[in-house]
Amino acid sequence: MPPETNSAALPSPTFNIVKRRLSFFGLTLDECIQVFFGGNAFVAVVILGLITYFLFREGAEFFGQNRQNLTVYRQAGLEYVDFMRRQEQAHTALTRDLFELRMRAVSDMTTRQGLTLAEANQRLASFDDYAGRFDDAIGPLRGMVADLTEVATAIKTKFNINQDKLEEREQLQSAGRTVEANAVKVEPVDFASEIAPILATRDAYLENNRVLAAEFAKLVEQVPAAPTPKLQGAVERFKVKVKAYVATFPSIEAEMAAWDFRKSVPLWKAFSAFIFGRQWLTASFWQDWYGVVPLFVGSLMVSMVALFLAIPLGVGAAVYVNQIASLREQRFIKPCIEFISAFPSVVLGFFGIAVLGEALRALSQVTWLQWLPGFPIAERLNALTAGCLLGLIAIPTIFTLAEDALQNVPRAFKEASYALGATRLQTITKIVVPAGLSGIISAILLGLGRVIGETMVVLLCAGNRIAIPDFTEGLSAFVQPVHTMTGIVAQEMGEVVRGGIHYRALFVVGIFLFFLSLGINFLAQKIVRRYRISIG
Amino acid sequence: MSAPTFSASMDPSTKSIRTTSPSPTAPEGKPSAAVAPTLIDIENLDFHYGATKALHGITLKVPDRQVTAFIGPSGCGKSTLLRCLNRMNDLIDGTRIGAGSIKIRGVDIYQRDVDVIELRKRVGMVFQKSNPFPKSIYENITYGLRLQGIKDKGRLDEVVEKSLRGAALWDEVKDRLHASGLGLSGGQQQRLCIARTIAVEPEIILMDEPCSALDPIATAKVEELIHELKLKYTIVIVTHNMQQAARCSDKTAFFYLGKLVEFAPTRTIFMNPENPQTEAYVSGRFG
Repeated sequence: MPPETNSAALPSPTFNIVKRRLSFFGLTLDECIQVFFGGNAFVAVVILGLITYFLFREGAEFFGQNRQNLTVYRQAGLEYVDFMRRQEQAHTALTRDLFELRMRAVSDMTTRQGLTLAEANQRLASFDDYAGRFDDAIGPLRGMVADLTEVATAIKTKFNINQDKLEEREQLQSAGRTVEANAVKVEPVDFASEIAPILATRDAYLENNRVLAAEFAKLVEQVPAAPTPKLQGAVERFKVKVKAYVATFPSIEAEMAAWDFRKSVPLWKAFSAFIFGRQWLTASFWQDWYGVVPLFVGSLMVSMVALFLAIPLGVGAAVYVNQIASLREQRFIKPCIEFISAFPSVVLGFFGIAVLGEALRALSQVTWLQWLPGFPIAERLNALTAGCLLGLIAIPTIFTLAEDALQNVPRAFKEASYALGATRLQTITKIVVPAGLSGIISAILLGLGRVIGETMVVLLCAGNRIAIPDFTEGLSAFVQPVHTMTGIVAQEMGEVVRGGIHYRALFVVGIFLFFLSLGINFLAQKIVRRYRISIG
Repeated sequence: MSAPTFSASMDPSTKSIRTTSPSPTAPEGKPSAAVAPTLIDIENLDFHYGATKALHGITLKVPDRQVTAFIGPSGCGKSTLLRCLNRMNDLIDGTRIGAGSIKIRGVDIYQRDVDVIELRKRVGMVFQKSNPFPKSIYENITYGLRLQGIKDKGRLDEVVEKSLRGAALWDEVKDRLHASGLGLSGGQQQRLCIARTIAVEPEIILMDEPCSALDPIATAKVEELIHELKLKYTIVIVTHNMQQAARCSDKTAFFYLGKLVEFAPTRTIFMNPENPQTEAYVSGRFG
């Protein structure tokens, strides 16, 4: 037999490497596990996408509605009346100046010149007389504004009732109840004829303006001499202000002449009225404004206070724990700081109202601290109180991330520094912290992101007054109550009509916050990547 | 300017590493050490990492202005001993000297009144992995001087050039002194580290496997440099590479399991070792 046949006849060992398959629904176990984990990741992405989509869908319509809101403001003549109102309010501000002047004069006279209150009042009699005449001068304009306000409000109300009726009819029609739908009577508002009475006051207004200008020109001349020598400067400033005020009349008249209720409001106005709007005013009898500026400023101020506290504390603690502390200290300090984040923020807010706010106010009444700006504090709940608590919230974030950043600084840098004869402090300040700086900065940014998004503490402790704080007095603006973007959404979302302009405005605030956080996080990551030191 | 000596800078401020005056080392009378005076005198040294004893009764005299190599298998304690010489081990928690002493020019560097910062200025160190700071080449070299408060630009420029020339790096980097030190190649980085070390003008340079991460060409350059440096500095080098020890060093110490097995002129260690363990190691039978 030839050898080939011989070997073929031998039972060849099987080379079986085919995997045995255990299958469920046609998938092997491995594939099932893959599907499970992949599915989880996918669901997370889908949910994120849905949230973003929903946020934008609900928010986007705001701008259309706001444009409508502004259009009605114009067509019903509210805008026109507001020109006059602003003129009147500027005068009120001047009257307030006079009033303040008087207060200072009284305090001057009683404290420095040793007069009694009665005597002081007597000396100020002529000043009071002048102040009264100055205030009365605006009387005719004030009356005109009051009258026109009523007319304009009536037009707007009529329009709104019509809108409601239209909506009702549409609802009935879509429900198939045509008969009832037709029974709803809608009379379209004819703005041209409605605002005719307002525009008719024009000549009277112009005439009145001329009288006013002459009156004020006279009043400027009659400004009494300063009640005390110290106030001479203030009186001069007042005169200048009055002259400037009269000088604005022609421009107001020009604006009013150019005003036309038929002019349509461009869409960008709806955007800019939101982004640059300095008023957030809702459910007002006159006109609703959705301007994000006061809320944004509030959020920013609270965050600044928080970072002002949290950066030194968080970064300092990180440097200490990472570079200086003994192992035992590390084991004690780290959990302690991380424990802060275990407090529910509502508990912190509670603490802020009950303890911190009171304590700060009590502290602000200590006499030898009066040199601090804003002391004594008038409001218990304000940007400072909320900021302090938010700082507490930001500390663990900043501490943990900054400590990580320092931990990532290669040990070799430190050793090289020591080997060149550096002290520990020199090594920390010249090598370790600069090498970890990018990480520290991104830690601070993420802390800022945490603070901007925090809601409960600011809702409870920031005082919730929707107004831009008065920055003319410098740092004392920080002890005024503010409202924040997160706070307003949490506070008002429960009370608004679904689908209404207010509801949508809150969504847009949410979108604004979303972009803000996104930007901050993006920046933080970018900084870490860009400046990461290569270890080599 | 020659390298400062311990006895030369005895002004009472920070210059001295010890407040008591050092006495010059008495010559011990060994014929091999008689050629060069002893600079570092290690006597009966025990060293502990926590509960582990890493060095057992090491006695060794490092000669002045010569290259002394420490060889031995991994974990034999040679790097530990090296790091004892400028007290770098102080940075590691739980380390301590159990017994014995290390004297440099007769000054016990583990005395309580020793200023460790001053010691490290005199005993520089080059590490296994090149570790330039994430700063410019110029700043890397001037770092040690700036720590000492030297701000004079002219002086710094001068030192930078001198140190880079001393480390045979000047021609390669003179046009980019303000570029990052991390942008250099591995061999250049290591020579930058050497330049940084000699910029503070130490008396002793400790090298902890300085070439282990370098390719042969870069290694040859560093070895060449070692030959030049030994004219001015006392060098102690730890190496895994026995050829390197044979090429660069004057004396070689062989360590095994935390003990000094043999210490002799390099020729003797490689050609005619006394101890059979040394012979087995240098001929490559273990390690």
